[in-house]
Amino acid sequence: MELKICHLYPDVLNLYGDGGNIRCLRQRLQWRGMGAEVVKMPIGAKESLAGFDLVFIGGGQDFEQQVLLEDLHRGRDRELLAAVEDGMTILAICGGYQMLGKSYETYDGKRCDFVGALDLHTVGARTRMIGNYLYRVPESLGGFTVVGFENHSGKTRLGPKVEALGTVLAGFGNNGEDGTEGAHYKNVFGTYSHGPLLPKNPAFADLLIKTALERKYGSAELEVLDDSLERMAHDEMCARLERRGK
Amino acid sequence: MSIRAFLAICLCKLLRLISRLLHRGGTAMPGQWALKVCPDLLSILARDVKSVAITGTNGKTTTARMIEQGFADAGLNYMANRSGANLISGITTEFVMNSTLFGRCKKQYAVIECDEAAAVKVFPQLKPSLVVVTNLFRDQLDRYGEVTHTLENIRKALAGISQPTEVLLNADCSLTASLAEDTHHSYLFFGIDKGAVPSGRKSELSDASHCIRCKSEYEYDYITYGHLGGFRCPKCGYHRTEKPEYTVTDVTEQRPDGSTIVIGGGRMEPHVVEVNLPALYNIYNAIGAIAAMREMEIPGETAMAAVGKFKCGFGRMENFALGKGGAKVMLVKNPAGCNQVLDFLQNVREKFILVVCLNDRGADGTDISWIWDADFEKLCELSGRLEKVIVSGDRAPDMAVRVKYAGIDPRFVEMERDYEKLVTELEGEQRPIYMITTYTALLELREVLVKHCGGDEFWV
Repeated sequence: MELKICHLYPDVLNLYGDGGNIRCLRQRLQWRGMGAEVVKMPIGAKESLAGFDLVFIGGGQDFEQQVLLEDLHRGRDRELLAAVEDGMTILAICGGYQMLGKSYETYDGKRCDFVGALDLHTVGARTRMIGNYLYRVPESLGGFTVVGFENHSGKTRLGPKVEALGTVLAGFGNNGEDGTEGAHYKNVFGTYSHGPLLPKNPAFADLLIKTALERKYGSAELEVLDDSLERMAHDEMCARLERRGK
Repeated sequence: MSIRAFLAICLCKLLRLISRLLHRGGTAMPGQWALKVCPDLLSILARDVKSVAITGTNGKTTTARMIEQGFADAGLNYMANRSGANLISGITTEFVMNSTLFGRCKKQYAVIECDEAAAVKVFPQLKPSLVVVTNLFRDQLDRYGEVTHTLENIRKALAGISQPTEVLLNADCSLTASLAEDTHHSYLFFGIDKGAVPSGRKSELSDASHCIRCKSEYEYDYITYGHLGGFRCPKCGYHRTEKPEYTVTDVTEQRPDGSTIVIGGGRMEPHVVEVNLPALYNIYNAIGAIAAMREMEIPGETAMAAVGKFKCGFGRMENFALGKGGAKVMLVKNPAGCNQVLDFLQNVREKFILVVCLNDRGADGTDISWIWDADFEKLCELSGRLEKVIVSGDRAPDMAVRVKYAGIDPRFVEMERDYEKLVTELEGEQRPIYMITTYTALLELREVLVKHCGGDEFWV
């Protein structure tokens, strides 16, 4: 078994450590004797998304996001929309997550139209939401906790067609107000946890791998790996955030 | 001088005395209180002093120490701050300690390292005669924001200096070089020429891949490291200056203990220069420092000798007599600096032990995501020379995970979070030890190292 992974816009959406997620997916496939092919699709790439099993979209700096919009509106947006509806497994983080939503409005009222694949929209705020945070995904996705680092000024509101990826236990999440974090729709997982989300949340990594393998091969059983170091990193941050929360 | 300033100076000197008696560092706190009493105190004290201010994300401290060496050798009456005191509070404390109670600074010159976010407050008061901007890399997004934001901060800081000043910019950094657009000051450039070092690959994690003016993707004639090199925008034409005033024309040798370079440029006759710290980033620091010293009218011979004999210490390739093979401590703050250290390790010829201490406190940056942008995969290219990795610090497990996914077998990864135990254990080592640490981890680790091996105390 193997997965063909697309790293979309690695040239502009690569804010702090996003590449760690790709490394993590690749290693966890290879440690199980499965293949992983990673293809980078920078701005201007012509290749279609259709041949891929998993798409990863990272976060970017504001400066670079303007560069990206032009490329997106040359047709990549329609393609992403179709891929989402078709059940493609997608992990989108921070700027990439916002990009899959309908729109972004800056706090001084400028509006950009995004892909519109997820029923959500984002409004910029004056203050940034920064720090380590913790959320729990619903039982239907495994009920595990996720530790991450968020750094965003956009406040995201979910529409009725998507569900939250998790419930915030510590930190801000989508907007710091309604207790939701991220979005889940079909096989799309959007989250504010920027940077290396997957290495310290191996359960999340395996959920993505399993989702993509099942779509491709019908069913997939994942061999259990020795995650003692990963769990230690995860558990220490959980404990720290729980202490802070009390 | 006003009575306010007098009171502020008295308070500052008193607080410093008390904190030293209590064995606290007291580099920033006294100045902080003094500025509350007299907000423009720094401008009063710095008024008759000719200062060089050094800012940028990487290499400030090393560049400042090189310049300081030249000032000392030229016999100038100068003062300097230390890296732990590079905000307006620490700089003010330093000026007060070098001034009389009546606000007359006893030094004629000052070498001032300035945090890039603090420059907006510091520069208008300090009114430096010369500003050096070393480079701009992505650095601690949680603290400084995006790199373009840091660039704008420096731009504002320069605009805030009322009289025209000379500004030395890194020609090879497209972000730094763009500061020359403002015509208020006069600008000079330093850099490394094409062909001086083998051109690196264009990094896909470039901190400045697209034109700062028109957002098109840059083309490169050559790359030294990161986004530094001969950049050119195919659309608007913004490009690296063709003739920097100070430049490295050749790097003839790179050794684990230093480099031999040839320098030249519009304001410099060709010369062979020895740099006594290894790695490419220190070659940038050296050419920037020589340029600064020359512009401050330090004789060429003195300036060139300074970069071959200065002592930086404090975690900048700092040596300790630990175990049989000794330990080298290397401070890292961001992916660009960390990658340079990982490149440097490729030059180590014998088997060694690597210690990585990762903290995530305020001064380190609370977001440790950057360790995934640093190329720890390079550790796998050491073909058996890496004997083991010991991870330590507040985020030791995250570091362990990072090296595991880089491809190092977890059996060769140990964890020891108690620096006392770590150093005691390493005392019995035969192999040389290389220690990569973040800032606050360095403060704690270094204290234990100094206790065991000797070395200078460092006040923070």
